[in-house]
Amino acid sequence: MAVKVAFMQLSDCWGCHQSLLNNHLGLLPVLPALEIVYWPAVVDFKHDSLKARENGSILVGFIEGSVRTNEDYENAKLMRDKCALIIAFGSCSCYGNVHGLANQWNKDDLVRRKFSEVESIADGSGGEPTQHMPGFRDKIVPVDEVVNVDVYISGCPPKPEGIVSAIAFLLGQKPFPMNDLAFCNDCSIKDNCLLDAGKLCFGPITSMGCNLKCTSNGNPCVGCFGPAKTVDSRAEKLNSMTKSLTSISSGDKKNLYEFLTLFLNVPLMAGFDLTSDILKQVKKHGSPSTPLANFPPTTEEIAGRLMAFLRDNPDFTEISNVCDTCSRIIGSKSTMTRVKRDYEGLPNMDDCFIEQGYICMGPITKAGCGGMCIKVNAPCTGCYGQTKWGVNQAERFADTVLKQFNVSLSKDDLLAQVKDPIGTFEKFTLASRKGGV
Amino acid sequence: MVKTIEVEPVTRLEGHGGLRLVLGDDGKVQNVQFNISSTRFFEKFLEGRYCEHIPRITPRICGICPIPHHLTPTKAVEDAWGVQIPPAAYKLRQLLQNAKQYSSHALHFYALAAPDFLLGPMADPALRNVVHVINKMPEVGAMALKMMDFGQKLCEAVGGKSVHPISAIVGGMKKALDETVRDRFLKQIEDQVEWSKKTVDIGLKVVEDYWDVVANVGVVPTYYLGMTKNGVHDIYDGDIRVVSPDGEKFDYPPQKYLDVIGEHIPEHSYATHTYYKPAGYPEGIYRANTLAMINCADKMATPLADEALKAMRAKVGNVPHHTFAYHWARLIELVESIEVMATLLQDDDIVNPDCKTLDVQPREGNGVGVTEAPRGLLLYHIWSDAEGICKKANLLVATNHNIAGIEKTLMHVAKQVFDDKALEGLKLPDPWIK
Repeated sequence: MAVKVAFMQLSDCWGCHQSLLNNHLGLLPVLPALEIVYWPAVVDFKHDSLKARENGSILVGFIEGSVRTNEDYENAKLMRDKCALIIAFGSCSCYGNVHGLANQWNKDDLVRRKFSEVESIADGSGGEPTQHMPGFRDKIVPVDEVVNVDVYISGCPPKPEGIVSAIAFLLGQKPFPMNDLAFCNDCSIKDNCLLDAGKLCFGPITSMGCNLKCTSNGNPCVGCFGPAKTVDSRAEKLNSMTKSLTSISSGDKKNLYEFLTLFLNVPLMAGFDLTSDILKQVKKHGSPSTPLANFPPTTEEIAGRLMAFLRDNPDFTEISNVCDTCSRIIGSKSTMTRVKRDYEGLPNMDDCFIEQGYICMGPITKAGCGGMCIKVNAPCTGCYGQTKWGVNQAERFADTVLKQFNVSLSKDDLLAQVKDPIGTFEKFTLASRKGGV
Repeated sequence: MVKTIEVEPVTRLEGHGGLRLVLGDDGKVQNVQFNISSTRFFEKFLEGRYCEHIPRITPRICGICPIPHHLTPTKAVEDAWGVQIPPAAYKLRQLLQNAKQYSSHALHFYALAAPDFLLGPMADPALRNVVHVINKMPEVGAMALKMMDFGQKLCEAVGGKSVHPISAIVGGMKKALDETVRDRFLKQIEDQVEWSKKTVDIGLKVVEDYWDVVANVGVVPTYYLGMTKNGVHDIYDGDIRVVSPDGEKFDYPPQKYLDVIGEHIPEHSYATHTYYKPAGYPEGIYRANTLAMINCADKMATPLADEALKAMRAKVGNVPHHTFAYHWARLIELVESIEVMATLLQDDDIVNPDCKTLDVQPREGNGVGVTEAPRGLLLYHIWSDAEGICKKANLLVATNHNIAGIEKTLMHVAKQVFDDKALEGLKLPDPWIK
């Protein structure tokens, strides 16, 4: 039986849906399991048809966007009534996102600029449109300030793999069909196998069929196609490497979270906060058994051992941050002596941005993105949300980097050199009461 | 009795819109409103931000076309600060912009528009969507998905992220393309060009099947707003061009936009109504987007696309006002984008690490950036203080340029339907998918 799902858009950009669609062919296995009853971006059901449904009759409701207008408010309430499970889908819904920065001003100031003051208004018209318009709320808020939220998927946008694995997780299925053969069969750098270089690459136990992006860029396979039905001959090499996990490099450790998330179809790293997430279960019950069944014994052995490693490793007791998945060197040859602006010079690709003088939100931002910005030489701006709430984020940033990074600036100097602290430290979360103080 | 027909929401489009049509006692159309019920005040909260950070905020205006919302404010700040970028950066940005154009146009044609044509306008609304098209025409569906995927993956390779890119910076690009990555995309070009041609063929078949619709529904003379570079179709860089209903062309450098574009604040929409200022409101209401771009262009930038343009003009004239020709124009642009990408992927500049000028200094002033987004001209006007902090910003956003034109077209079609009963004998083909 197909599961009834509804997608609602509040004030937003529709990018979360584009990100979901970016799975393209990867969506095909998931679609038949879903009965889409509302999704204005894609299907033709009108608002009245959603209203007419029985309360609680839709299993999963995805809400994208934050609450800016009265219509947003009503639609969030409507979705809560109709859906058994509400997912705050993307950082607008979770935290308010960049347009939450509008909360620095009164509603009247915003309305005046947009509808009366802008330079291109040319015919004497102006003022807030009110005919058949919903009206604005005084402040923009994330969805959980209006209704109860069951699951959060953060990210701006959340990664395509993260969304599909979240859906698949809810459906109790694997996101992708599994292949007989392992990733290694397709690998473009077989002759320079990363395992031989001592890097943890999960290719030997992962299904082939992806576009080989990771290894083609010199990065290890992190298992996003899930387990293969048979393992490659290199699996033993990987198996023996996992036995000596204490001695692996920090870069490899950083891959573990991503591996477990994707491979075991437990999207805890995809910004997916669910109270029953598997890592928390492991920590609570101490059982490193995996949900895999009927897979090659080597695969079970490796996955089980990694679960145990994460359970016992003190570095993983806290929610992981973007630095945990960043390949740049912390404790590099560079040192921050003043705060640089992003237009200055061009950072090198090896050293930590902060140590090169740039503000990067990695140390206080929740992981899940896989460091996409960092890979094209752009510092993190925090779109997955903060790792800790209800604290002064600017001070927390300064305290963290002074302690853990090459920074030869006093806390006061560092903070004084940031001219737009709100836009820098709370760009995505200002509208959330969970956020800063 | 006065009767109101409401469509809430208008589906298969990006953004939040409703349609409201009021009929009088006599059954004639009194009023048509296109109500856009969402806006988020970017025009205000960009104040106080680092100018160079604006391109990392504004992509969130549109998740379907975030690339132009990344590149255009970058150009505006470069204009304000007097920054020149290296040729490698210019080409990387062109590549990025065209990759987005390609995936967006494929998405628009196959996922948003095609269900209407392939299933027919009378089909069950529950089935009239892309999921059903994929189920019923798996080969076409797979081709469409692979086209979108190519564009989005290339956006990600150049832009860092396909949704909300990050690689452009005032002064250039943060990183060039890796050679191995470039090669991977080059290998796929031949297939993609073939599929683009196939898509044009599907489009031509649709035009033929629905000719009665194309030729008679919503043929509305308006002004057109687009961008050309020396008269040639260009989506990354150029001057603003306006074409009058009878085909007269007017060019303006981006910095003169306030002489060209006026905004009218309607009472019934948060998206404003834009119009050609010298003609006034509402006479100067223009349309933007693909048909407008095609009407503005003297010629396309690439051979296959130019051939397709000539074929279209032979059929509907040099400045067609046919609303349904928007789809046709979109496919001509689709072909151009894959041809541009094919050329750029073979250009060694895109793997040249010298893609950012190191000499960038903020200065007090203001600058304008313009590109052509998949749904219309996109313009940012940014005022910087001496330290490079944004003092003020004005945005004329692509979709917004279409609102007044859409409303005008809806009024025209509503009158065709209700006042003149002009569409009752309209010939519709047998649907491809029954």
